[in-house]
Amino acid sequence: MSTTRTATTSKRCATGLTRQLPLSQGRGSALLVGLLAIAVAIAFADSSVVVLALPELYTRFDTTIEGVAWVVTAYNAAVAVVALGLVFLVHRLRAATVLGGGLLVFTAASIACALAGSLSFLIVARCVQGIGAALLLAGSLPVLTAVAGSAVRGATVWTLAGTFGAALGPALGGVVTQAFGWPAIFAAQAPLAALGLLAVFAARDAPALEEGWRPSLVRTLPANACIGLLFGALVGVLFLSVLLVITVWGYSPIAGAGIVSILPAATLGARPLEQRLPRWAAVCGGAGLLTLGLLGLALLPSASVGFALGALTFCGAGLSLAIPILSGAALDLGAGLTRSATFTIGVRHLGLVLALASIAPLLASDLPSAGHRAELRATAVLLDGPVGLSKKVPVALDARKEFARAKAGEIPDLSRPFDAHGARHDPALAAVRDRLVGAIKDTITRSFRSAFLLSALLAAGALALALFFRRGQVLE
Amino acid sequence: MTTRWSPALTFLLVLLVAAVALLVVEAGKDAAGGGIKVADPCQPRAPFPGHGLDATIQRIVLDGLDGAACRLHTTREELVLSLSPGSGARSVRWDEHTIEMALRAGLRRSVDEAERRGDIPGFVARAARRIVETAPIDVLVRGGVRLSDLIG
Repeated sequence: MSTTRTATTSKRCATGLTRQLPLSQGRGSALLVGLLAIAVAIAFADSSVVVLALPELYTRFDTTIEGVAWVVTAYNAAVAVVALGLVFLVHRLRAATVLGGGLLVFTAASIACALAGSLSFLIVARCVQGIGAALLLAGSLPVLTAVAGSAVRGATVWTLAGTFGAALGPALGGVVTQAFGWPAIFAAQAPLAALGLLAVFAARDAPALEEGWRPSLVRTLPANACIGLLFGALVGVLFLSVLLVITVWGYSPIAGAGIVSILPAATLGARPLEQRLPRWAAVCGGAGLLTLGLLGLALLPSASVGFALGALTFCGAGLSLAIPILSGAALDLGAGLTRSATFTIGVRHLGLVLALASIAPLLASDLPSAGHRAELRATAVLLDGPVGLSKKVPVALDARKEFARAKAGEIPDLSRPFDAHGARHDPALAAVRDRLVGAIKDTITRSFRSAFLLSALLAAGALALALFFRRGQVLE
Repeated sequence: MTTRWSPALTFLLVLLVAAVALLVVEAGKDAAGGGIKVADPCQPRAPFPGHGLDATIQRIVLDGLDGAACRLHTTREELVLSLSPGSGARSVRWDEHTIEMALRAGLRRSVDEAERRGDIPGFVARAARRIVETAPIDVLVRGGVRLSDLIG
């Protein structure tokens, strides 16, 4: 199978970029490739890297859920808009200039994000960071091609860096947030992105890729349509599951990062399988696994880490099988390398933004009624709890205060009133506490169902498209 | 276009089957329930467990709340939350007088039941009925008095 794939790729290359690029023969090209891959991975990871820090941002800036969600949306929207706009322009520019400009803007905006003193400033800085990321990603593939020595190698590094960066984002963000606080997420990105400038300096003399305006992008539409849907589905994996683990189940950012790190682990683990599968089987199987994994998250019967880990494993494996091959199909390695890369960047971030715009209101509309159901169940647990009135009444009154203290959208810490009245030493009271907290978590967990189902529907749409295009041999 | 079956395809199939198996297990767990249910107050339920004055009081109050909720065609939990100042359930569909009447009737019936079960002797039941008739439940319903004020 790999022979077939190589043959296909070689055939594509024959139509365009076939010349030997001099940089690849220089020493240290592997280091430059590595630095560029890190910059690409960071730009892709930034779509979701801040998700585990959202509760901290919510508290720090004393804002609303909608307000804090813009920290994520602003970046992805900026990348989508700028990348899709660049499609018409980027082939006229020098790739090294685009990449250098992108790295500089991204680095400066990352520092600004880290220093943000207000939410509005942070959102604006995230927009600028998204503009930098779009330029960085658009310019990186041609430069990677120049540094790596071939379009195939460059595209492979670019694709894998993007896939693993996206999968790693939440886990990385969680670890850094827990260890150093949310500004460190952005502060850490700045020097890593700046290092990519070394590659720009090395590639400054690389020949410009001459790309005339040809309808080559049309050939990439089937793959891009699938990618857009899959990235939309990833909202369920990268955002909803993380919110569930952190805000509903109450795990710390680092513990949440531990749970969601199964995603990049599964992505990495499924890589050998992807290389051995026929292209159509990898794409269809990957989209199918992602669909089933998201259904698994939708059907979580309780706040169960075990079930969530299982579902996320299938999501990670699906991501690993489908995205690299679709990315390869979305890149025109010959005449339209830069434009096709820019186009696919725009499409995948557009998928993310449109899915966020559809899924967030759905979740927001489900949560209030789920909150009321949770309150009723918590009341039932407390009323029926086999503890004396001398403890039950004070706990109930303090629980009311916890509800009043919790901000809109926050889940009150109802274990605190129990612990304050001796649950640590009273097994009966502790049992009521655990049952009550469990009832609330289970009820809110189920309220994520329709949002996860919508994500699964997007993945199923990608599967249907892939099956349709397989009939037309587009993905063969 | 034809593809030969390979170990990789078999492994992919195993993964897909495993993912479906996860869904089946989850659906089974979900259907099995085990979660907290808000019970129908008009249906009999197991009495509050335990002996002694504390358990007896809780049995009478909880039965009384069930009776009141049944009369109001709501749940016991919704009724309790509607009595809680600032609760979202405050926007209930009954007026204060209706809630007060339902609470008194429910508590009267629960005292009768407690006497019938032998939980409380006749003279205590009579005293309890008097308390039910004269307690300032109307003030509690209006939110003028909080539970914490009554308890101290």
